Amino acid sequence: MGGVQYSKIAEIKGPLVIVDDVENAAFDELVEVETNEGERRLGKVLEVGNGKAIVQVFEGTTGLSVSGTSARFVGKVMEMPVSKEVLGRVFDGLGRPKDGLPDPIADKFLDINGAPMNPEQREYPKDFIQTGVSVIDGMITLVRGQKLPIFSGSGMSHNILAAQIARQATVVGTEEEFAVVFAAIGVQYSEAEYFRRTLEESGALKRSVLFLNLADDPAIERIITPRVALTVAEYMAFELGMHVLVILTDMTNYAEALREISAAREEVPGRKGYPGYLYTDLSTIYERAGKLNGKTGSVTQVPILSMPSDDITHPIPDLTGYITEGQIVLGRDLFRQGVYPPVNILMSLSRLMKDGIGEGRTRQDHSEISNQNYDAYSRAQEVRALAGIVGKAGLADVDLKYMDVGDSFEKGFLTQALDENRNLDETLSLLWKVVSNLPRAELTKVKDKYVDQYYQGSDE
Amino acid sequence: MASDTLERTINKILDQTQERISSELDGALAESGKTLDGARAGLEAEYDKIISDGRKEADKIQKQIVGSSDLEARNRQLLLVEEAVDRAFGEALGRISDMDRDDSYAELVESLMREATDTLGSTEVVVYTSEKDRDVVGSVLNGFSGSQLADDTIECLGGVRIVSTDGTMTFDNTLDARISRLKPLIRKQIAAKFGVVN
Amino acid sequence: MAAEGRIVWVSGPAVKADGMASAKMYETVIVGESKLIGEVIRLTGDVAFIQVYESTSGLKPGEPVVGTGNPLSVLLGPGIIGQIYDGIQRPLKALSEASGSYIGRGITTTPVDLTKKYHYTPSVKAGDQVQAGNVIGTVQETDLIDHSIMVPPDHKGGTVAEVVPEGDYDLETDLVTLQDGSTLKMYHRWPVRKPRPYKTRYDPTVPLLTGQRVIDTFFPIAKGGTGSIPGAFGTGKTVTLHQIAKWADSQVVVYIGCGERGNEMTEVLVEFPHLKDPRTGKPLMDRTVLVANTSNMPVAAREASIYTGVTIAEYYRDMGKDVVLVADSTSRWAEALREMSGRLEEMPAEEGYPSYLASRLAEFYERAGRVRAAGSPDRDGSVTLVGAVSPSGGDFTEPVTTHTMRFIKTFWALDAKLAYSRHYPSINWMNSYSGYLADIAKWWGKNVSEDWLSMRGEAYGVLQREDTLKEIVRLLGPEALPDEEKIIMEVARMIKIGILQQNSFDDVDTYCSPEKQYRLLKLLVDFYNRGQQAIREGTSLAEIRAMPIIGTLLKARMEVKDDEMEKLDEIDNMMKEQFKGAAEAKVRN
Repeated sequence: MGGVQYSKIAEIKGPLVIVDDVENAAFDELVEVETNEGERRLGKVLEVGNGKAIVQVFEGTTGLSVSGTSARFVGKVMEMPVSKEVLGRVFDGLGRPKDGLPDPIADKFLDINGAPMNPEQREYPKDFIQTGVSVIDGMITLVRGQKLPIFSGSGMSHNILAAQIARQATVVGTEEEFAVVFAAIGVQYSEAEYFRRTLEESGALKRSVLFLNLADDPAIERIITPRVALTVAEYMAFELGMHVLVILTDMTNYAEALREISAAREEVPGRKGYPGYLYTDLSTIYERAGKLNGKTGSVTQVPILSMPSDDITHPIPDLTGYITEGQIVLGRDLFRQGVYPPVNILMSLSRLMKDGIGEGRTRQDHSEISNQNYDAYSRAQEVRALAGIVGKAGLADVDLKYMDVGDSFEKGFLTQALDENRNLDETLSLLWKVVSNLPRAELTKVKDKYVDQYYQGSDE
Repeated sequence: MASDTLERTINKILDQTQERISSELDGALAESGKTLDGARAGLEAEYDKIISDGRKEADKIQKQIVGSSDLEARNRQLLLVEEAVDRAFGEALGRISDMDRDDSYAELVESLMREATDTLGSTEVVVYTSEKDRDVVGSVLNGFSGSQLADDTIECLGGVRIVSTDGTMTFDNTLDARISRLKPLIRKQIAAKFGVVN
Repeated sequence: MAAEGRIVWVSGPAVKADGMASAKMYETVIVGESKLIGEVIRLTGDVAFIQVYESTSGLKPGEPVVGTGNPLSVLLGPGIIGQIYDGIQRPLKALSEASGSYIGRGITTTPVDLTKKYHYTPSVKAGDQVQAGNVIGTVQETDLIDHSIMVPPDHKGGTVAEVVPEGDYDLETDLVTLQDGSTLKMYHRWPVRKPRPYKTRYDPTVPLLTGQRVIDTFFPIAKGGTGSIPGAFGTGKTVTLHQIAKWADSQVVVYIGCGERGNEMTEVLVEFPHLKDPRTGKPLMDRTVLVANTSNMPVAAREASIYTGVTIAEYYRDMGKDVVLVADSTSRWAEALREMSGRLEEMPAEEGYPSYLASRLAEFYERAGRVRAAGSPDRDGSVTLVGAVSPSGGDFTEPVTTHTMRFIKTFWALDAKLAYSRHYPSINWMNSYSGYLADIAKWWGKNVSEDWLSMRGEAYGVLQREDTLKEIVRLLGPEALPDEEKIIMEVARMIKIGILQQNSFDDVDTYCSPEKQYRLLKLLVDFYNRGQQAIREGTSLAEIRAMPIIGTLLKARMEVKDDEMEKLDEIDNMMKEQFKGAAEAKVRN
């Protein structure tokens, strides 16, 4: 039984409060830190033993003093009250109401850390989600239960793309309930507001839950924001049977909060000052996506992260990429040229695509035509580089056709309006149109029967 | 146990007030239904106006209006339930505060004392309580060697708050603290009586 | 006397307990009220440092710690095949029966069903002398696995007093009773951190065939060998490992998902029972064991999972089987070491990894090998170790990659650039190497074709020339090359598309028999030689490029099945015809 309040504070450093003479505290336990003035902040136990407890304070330690602070150990881990009535609500980064409405009347109180899904109980994701965004549906297909991040850079259109996905995503031919959970992690008010408005305008707000930790909210709270959001998502998916799309933006801010705590604990850092356990920690967030045997719902994650200096080898995108099932990478060059969505398909990938597409799911030729486009667009990039050296005049005929492929791909296929919702057949026809710029013999990745059926170019 | 006594009290009070509040709630729900109908009527007018602007746009606005008025009605309902919960709660607290300081109350205080000292792991403590409870609390302290009643009193409904003699550990076992710990569960029970929790 | 102590400190998976003076290093202990499983990893005075294999959330100082007296061990016996275990050999199925969809804590299970009956055929009789490693009979574990029951390697042996008659018995039955009264059952336990002994070790001279052309033909691995596959994310590491697990010509596959994605393990679980072993036609799951400790499962059990897996592999090796162990990924295992080392406040070496990282890697890879098992009758088996490495930022100079390279002989370097252009498997042919080429060439010569090594050499030569010529093209454009060199570029492109690339999702292309591998190679080398000759005789490169045979050659990997080698004869003839036609056109002009 918890509830004892300790007032002997040994040290306050960074986001940490170290409490002395603690006899009854558990690892991971929730802590209420109280100031003399009666202000309460939440925290949790990072380390306990030998009479000391190290407490991480989510709302920061600004204004706390050694003599005027006490810590109450609550006797349980942090929990989020959940019920169906959380839909349409707005919460802060710790899961407390921010919309002037009362606390949700809980159906259950759930540990925000979740528990690892048993891999044996997972259901392998393979239901194609049509996002209506050609480049995703055609080339980087998203499926229910997948975790597919958007790797972006500062100022690029990642939030607009995520919002378009949230508005348009459907599973063709089903009427199952779906919901959106949006977690803003240290983003600006305008970005969160854009998202809220877009949900409202599409009428999706009543089946959405928003968690907002904005740029001026406490940084350490960001450790909690994705976890409360995912706790709600899991509840809706696996208890209420809904299909939940979770958008986490921006995970870079999350990782920075983690680094801040690690630095305050004086831990030996891994790369670029990030803690050695960053991979494991990120996995406890990303791995909460999935489907479970015997349950109808699913949790699909689209985390967004801005790559510092657009560097994909930076630890945050790097470790994320090792955990997630692919990545959608936005390209600075395309963005500068005004292409929307500016997706660099060569660096992008959906690992679960292979099982979500093909006969009975999308279309028989989907896999091959998308491979052919990857191949052709990649060759187009090589030719463009070559043309930069020897000039267009120095190129062979077939190379010139690859130049056409590059342009046609970017202008005819990739480019899409913000409110344009393309169905799968439209998307695949556009892919065939791109490669129809090439002579038939160049289509080495597609079986002859599909070439016969869909190819529109000339044999020359 | 202490919490049982408390819950029994609350339940009894709840039963008495439930019916009255339920009927008020029904009225409020009917009212929010009207809001929704009103919004639908408004929608139709809006719909006619923009039909020429294209079906897609109309769909969007339809979704938006229906979506937000649904949401508005729901939110109004949440506030009403909360209001009802608060009233039930307030009445319960009032009744507890006015409870007779009889023998069974002394038993309750003793059990609160025992729980608190067990948690701190010591009976050498300073005990704080409300002006009203000083006598009752004083009478049970004999059973806790080393404990002493503080000179100051604290504002609370009842119960005790104990502090270790060196002042570093505190355990708050006032009725207020107990109720606030129990509040999320009690709210759920109250709301369930109004049939708003699935 | 088992140690009984109290927790004094908790930080994540690391726990300190005092009153542990009688505990031994690497002893398994039971931690806390919720009975979590842990292992002693350091002893200082009476304080034991324990790594806990389950989540320590809610654990408090003051809770009890009890020693078991035994080191962390696995249970070895029939019933292992087809299972999916966590890092400490708890069946995930049993865990889900106990705690549902999510992994609970403090659950005790047995690794195999001890009450299941197997048909036992004894191979010893009363009066026989047995010693450690001897086979005392067999049971049929799955359709694919005849499972030898062996005297435990640390058993002192003795004279058989009594043997049960052939028949169906469960695992707890005493099958053999020795004269000293001791008994032998269908199973025994073995500590995971101790390699199982064997009689002699052989040089690896037999290739492990994986059906993957870039591996078997260009960078082969031998049975009993070691290989490593490093690559940045998105380079297709997991798909390549899955391909090896699916198609390798071994009798048993141990697949360790060590700190990787949950859905990948599920994929194996869903897919393998439906896939047929190309040699036996039986489901692949009948020869596969999975050890799954996904990234979000407790980090200490990730450290143990590698040892659990390799001990199971050695056990089947001792039956005389060829076993492949795939570990994905050793980097996550190294990170688990790093995390525990950090919590122990040890002095870190490079990038925070402990200084013993290299020796741990060496110990692990040293457990590979082709051996003659201990005891009689004579059995030869092998453990082939393939470890994935996930270098941070795709940087091959980071500690795990560099240390691994010291202890392995085949290196398949995955290349992000190739992956970005969808060249899969994205094994870079200039950076990869195999130290087994010379050893296994004899096998190819004897079993497939005498000129295998020279064909491979010619094809690889073309790729090497292309690599140099590419630089010139980059600086001066393709027109700067004469036709004899341009055709090298052309044929290199054909080798890349027609041989090196392989579509693991295509029903035909996913597995390529050694025969087909050789034939495709020979066709392309022939094309190259004919092309060179045609150019010398005046045919233009444009005319060669226009030959329809090129498209046919490039698609042959997908269009020709393993049992349709006659189609390759036709392609060969077509190629001859088209070159002849080109030469005749030249003469007519």
